[in-house]
Order: sequence, then C-alpha cells, then structure tokens
Amino acid sequence: MRDRDYLGEFEHIIVLALLRLDDRAYGVTVRQEIELRTDREVSIGAVYATLDRLETKGYVTSHRGDPTPERGGRSKRFFRVTAKGVTAVSRTHRALQNMTEGLGSFGVTYDVATPSR
Amino acid sequence: MTSQPHLVKPPRLAVWLLNLFALAEEAESILGDLLEEFSLLASKSGVAFAQRWYWRQTIKTVPWLAGIGFRTAPWLIGASVVGGLLLRKLVAPLVGLPASALLDRYQAFFEHHVSAYLFFASTGSDIEHLISFVLIGFLVAFVTRQREMIATMALGLVYGAMAVVGFIYAVTKTGNDALLWRLTWIFADAFAIVIAGAIVRMHRLAATSRPSTA
Repeated sequence: MRDRDYLGEFEHIIVLALLRLDDRAYGVTVRQEIELRTDREVSIGAVYATLDRLETKGYVTSHRGDPTPERGGRSKRFFRVTAKGVTAVSRTHRALQNMTEGLGSFGVTYDVATPSR
Repeated sequence: MTSQPHLVKPPRLAVWLLNLFALAEEAESILGDLLEEFSLLASKSGVAFAQRWYWRQTIKTVPWLAGIGFRTAPWLIGASVVGGLLLRKLVAPLVGLPASALLDRYQAFFEHHVSAYLFFASTGSDIEHLISFVLIGFLVAFVTRQREMIATMALGLVYGAMAVVGFIYAVTKTGNDALLWRLTWIFADAFAIVIAGAIVRMHRLAATSRPSTA
C-alpha cells in the first residue's frame, strides 16, 4: 500500500459522508446521506465494498453496536474515519483543487470553503 | 392494536440470494440495514414499493458481495479453481467405474440391444460427467467456507470457457457442427458445480441460522 494514495471518487464520497455523520455512521445512514446529497441511487453492497476497502487501507475503523429488533435482531456496524483517512481526504481535495486551478474559463470550478486561520 | 411495520418481511428469494453470497460478517450488517430501510419504506410508501426497492438493492448488491468474497481471498478462489479442474481427472474415472462394471456384467444383453448400449455409452457417459461435477462442486464448496458460491461459480465459468474454446476449435478443425449441441451438457456440468456450491452453502447456513432469517 502506498502512503500517498488518493481516494477514488466513491471512496471520497463515502469518507465525506462518514465525516458528516460522525458517530451516527452505519450502512443505512451512509447510504441515505449519499443519496440525499448526490441525488444518485446507491446500493448497500457498493457502500460496504468501499467501506471494507477503506478499512483495509486504514482510513476507517468499524465497531458493532447492539442488536435491535427492527433489524431482525442484527447489530449495526458503525464506521469512523481515522486520522490517516482525514489526511487522505485532505490530500485528495488539494490534488483536485490544484488540478482545477485556472480552468474557470472552461466552466470547471472546485470551490471548497477553506477555514480561515 | 398498533401496526407493526417491521413484521412485513422482505422477499424471501432476495434474502436467500443475499445470504448465499455474503460473508457472515457482511450478512449481519447488510441484511440488518436492508431490513431496517425496508420496514421504513413499507410503512411510508407501501409494501409493493418496498419490495421493489429491496429487489433492486439485492440485484445491485450481489455482484459487490461476490467481489468482496473474491478480493478478500483471491488465492483461495484461484486454488479452488485449479484444484477443481485437477480433481476432475481424479473423480471422473472413479464415477465411470460402476458404469464400466455394468457394461461388462450385462455384456450379453447389450450385444442384443445395440440401441440400449449406444444410449448407455453416450448419454450414460454424459450423466457420469454430470455426477462427477456435482461431486467436484461439493468438494470445492467444502474447502471454501463462506465463499462457496464465488468459488464454484468461478470454477464453473473457467470450465465452461475452456470447454467452449475447445469445442469451437474442434468444430473448426473437423467441420462437424453436430459437436456443438454437446455444449448443452457442458453448460449443465458448469451449472451442476454451482448447484453443489449452493447446496453446501445452504446446508451451512441452516446449521448456523437464527430463528428469523429475514
């Protein structure tokens, strides 16, 4: 595994969804958050396949919640972004920003509000 | 009495398909997530809508589950395909032994009933192949715990592809188009491997299943 890996498009979206959801991030909420914000139907299989890959890379961690009756007695698997994952998402953002810079004349923009320090 | 939307069950066939392909840990999360959303959709938009949604999710999810199964153990799947193809060399002659013994035992009968002999020698041999592939499917599924479907499907696909290439080569060489109809037996053999995988998988699921499967 390379240390300077960039996130793929869907990996990027998933990590951002996890960051938005914070400690409420599990399959259902991640899937719904992506559908709500990207307006595209996402399968739960795609979400888990990507989360598994991100976990293997060390960008996210997961833990199990308690089983609940509305899930047929099955537990939720909660996900959280690691420090390495935050670094990877920032690196990917920077790369996209750098690549988009000066392309405004083509109608290509990448406006990300950066916190002022 | 208040309504309990979670009592509405998702399509059983879809749940079965997901169980067939998912690793145990994935199945726990994915089936739970799908049931949670299904119950919500059923109470909000109706059971028919929720069932269509569940099927759409299942159809899109199964290939991902197969992918996870392969990605997490590519060497096991590769070895099971190679092992399965090698096993064929070992198993096929063993399965053929009883048939040969039968031909020897009733040689006098077959000498007077040539059509019966021809049927036994051709279709009987195809059935022997089918049985040997079922046995190979069982063996491969037995050693690829949790990945029974991916391993047997991979073996079936590789075997089918090799056989199709071989038959096309034979037909172009000999010009005998009649050989092509035998491809139906090849597809049946490949299908038999996968069916054996599904049987082992279902047996294992039944052994570890909880009271509610949905």
